[in-house]
Amino acid sequence: MHKEIVEFLNAQVPGCEATLVEAEVGDSTIFIQPSHIKAASLALRDSEKFQMNVLQVITGCDYEDRIEVSYILASFIFNTELILKVKLPKTDKDATVQIDSIVEVWTAADFQERECYDMIGVVFDGHPDFRRILCPEDWKGYPLRKDYVVEEVYNGMVVNPENKMNHEDHYFYKKIQEEQEDPKKVTFSWKD
Amino acid sequence: MQDSVILMKVDDFFNWGRKNSLWPMTFGLACCAIEMMATGAAKYDLERFGCGAFMATPRRSDLMIVAGTVTLKMATRVKTLYEQMPEPKYVISMGSCANKGGPYWQHGYHVLKGVDEVVPVDVYVPGCPPRPEALIEGLMTLQKKIANERLLRDKWVKHA
Amino acid sequence: MIDLQAETPEKTEKIKSDLLTVNMGPQHPATHGVLRVEIKTDSEIVAEATPYLGYLHRCMEKHSENLDYRGVIPFVDRMDYLGSMSMEWGYALTIEKMLGTEVPRRAEYIRTIVGELQRVASHLMFFGTYAIDLGAFSPFLYAFQDREDILRIFEELSGARLLYNYIWIGGVWNDINDDQLRRIAKFCDTMEENLKKYHTLVGGNAIFIGRTANVGVISEEMAYRYGATGPVLRGSGIDWDLRKKRPYGLYEELDFDVIVGKGEKGQVGDCWDRYQVRVLEMFESIKIIRQCLDGIEEGPIIGKVPKIIKVPAGEIYMRTECPRGELGYHLISDGGKTPYRLKVKSSCFTHVSMLGEMAPGQMIADFVASIGSIDIVLGEVDR
Repeated sequence: MHKEIVEFLNAQVPGCEATLVEAEVGDSTIFIQPSHIKAASLALRDSEKFQMNVLQVITGCDYEDRIEVSYILASFIFNTELILKVKLPKTDKDATVQIDSIVEVWTAADFQERECYDMIGVVFDGHPDFRRILCPEDWKGYPLRKDYVVEEVYNGMVVNPENKMNHEDHYFYKKIQEEQEDPKKVTFSWKD
Repeated sequence: MQDSVILMKVDDFFNWGRKNSLWPMTFGLACCAIEMMATGAAKYDLERFGCGAFMATPRRSDLMIVAGTVTLKMATRVKTLYEQMPEPKYVISMGSCANKGGPYWQHGYHVLKGVDEVVPVDVYVPGCPPRPEALIEGLMTLQKKIANERLLRDKWVKHA
Repeated sequence: MIDLQAETPEKTEKIKSDLLTVNMGPQHPATHGVLRVEIKTDSEIVAEATPYLGYLHRCMEKHSENLDYRGVIPFVDRMDYLGSMSMEWGYALTIEKMLGTEVPRRAEYIRTIVGELQRVASHLMFFGTYAIDLGAFSPFLYAFQDREDILRIFEELSGARLLYNYIWIGGVWNDINDDQLRRIAKFCDTMEENLKKYHTLVGGNAIFIGRTANVGVISEEMAYRYGATGPVLRGSGIDWDLRKKRPYGLYEELDFDVIVGKGEKGQVGDCWDRYQVRVLEMFESIKIIRQCLDGIEEGPIIGKVPKIIKVPAGEIYMRTECPRGELGYHLISDGGKTPYRLKVKSSCFTHVSMLGEMAPGQMIADFVASIGSIDIVLGEVDR
């Protein structure tokens, strides 16, 4: 099914450069150019052949140089699902990245995009009511980025008070971190 | 005459009345709230201990059972609710999360590490979540604490 | 529901007043936890409702990135604390599919039994709290009495009443014995009898029908647009159940029906339909449990899983049917001991977003009925 979708997208949305990443384990994914996400979603929703009528989830994943945003679509008519991905290069460590909003295609994107912004820091252009959803409005940083460091004091409350920390456990987890082949891969929301 | 006069200290009289008519607030936060509901429902029946009248508003209640994880976003609300309750007021911190952050103590960037950071706590009930029996035990501990209060000496103010 | 447009223009002009902003929650008995809804009302009629989430955001996804694959299970439990077994099952399936682990038959039987018992427990909770929302107290006591029986069985199996950590990657933690199976069978019999009684008591009650029929209607088109799943989708008359459409566990071999809302008391997709779907689903669950009890086989309860789990690099999106709707795990692995990213697609999160569109034009009391009927658990909404 994935190959057909790639052909379909390349034909219907010129310039989207859909490529298939076939997986040995797990699910295959389709990468497209970020600038064409809205056109591609519209094409997939309205096509007779695929009818992706439900947007399941929008989620981001932080890498060193880029943020990958996954759009998981499903068709409740043909019982299929698809992971559509875009790569958004990061310019700076704390900078947000931008992409078009698809709220007009599926209303479900409303909350999903707000959550994606809150957690990873992806700005969706054209979203009708764009603000944080889970964290408070005055929250700093994007918690699910790998280099996120927890705030020390928020709103007058100490986030990690010294007398409440279980230091034995902390050392235990630190040991696990050191045992990893690449310690950078595991990030702890702790300041040493 | 003998049957209708009881001699007791004023303190004891007030404490007896207070400890047997605790009105908790309907205030559930997370998983522990389900166990709190179970404690109030058919099998465990909190009413037996004079503590079953769950009030929907803080202004009519004098016991706050903090049942669940207090997040940073919620913490200011918990404090406001506590301040809205009339004196005398008591707080039971139910479950590990409300005691100390629970399983979320390490990476919980958005979790308050213990409700005692924002409101004074009288009794801590451990467990994740505590069994209804544990909550009842915590309640009885609070009742014992109330029974030993010295109202007149403390001039009605608990947290002076 | 009152339609303002239907009134004559002069009359509307007279009634109309300024909008009043009412804050509902985070501490409100009818919001099932810490949901906050900001309502703009025109007298008793809701003009606009905005849900505010995040009062129970417990950073589960951050935790999962820092723990090994087995260590995530307790955190998965605490997301939807009314459907813990289903949450664990979904997570275990995700990892098993990536590892290619084969689950023994006996473990599959036990998983199906506890999964369906959990569904009954969760729907009983809905039944009780929904009745409280609408002003009836005794159904709550009935529901909890029966729910305690299920918790008693779970407690013997796993050692905990609410958050179990029972379904492990590759199988289950503890074996079930004949005595427990006998008691589950006995429970099915009593539960079926009781449920019939409860359904007549509440579902046939004129006041209950008056409060729920034609209230909070979710049309088929709206359900698809918002990506609704589970009983909410089925209540809107769409025949969609992952246990049938994409069978996992033993559901392929089992015989059960998918309950779909038919609009018996009002429009298709109203609160009464969603209530009915959940109650009738409990009968189907009992039917499934009975078949599992008849067919359960002897054998090992946990498959071969390496001591240190390392999931091969790649990604997967796995969906299962939980009591509240579809639960999806999107796992991105880089071949290490911990997940690189674990995103949880929660059905409640999607359902909460529908409140904004359901509310306008409803009475405030009907809005409470609408919130109750989508049966949200804030732990899963905020994660």
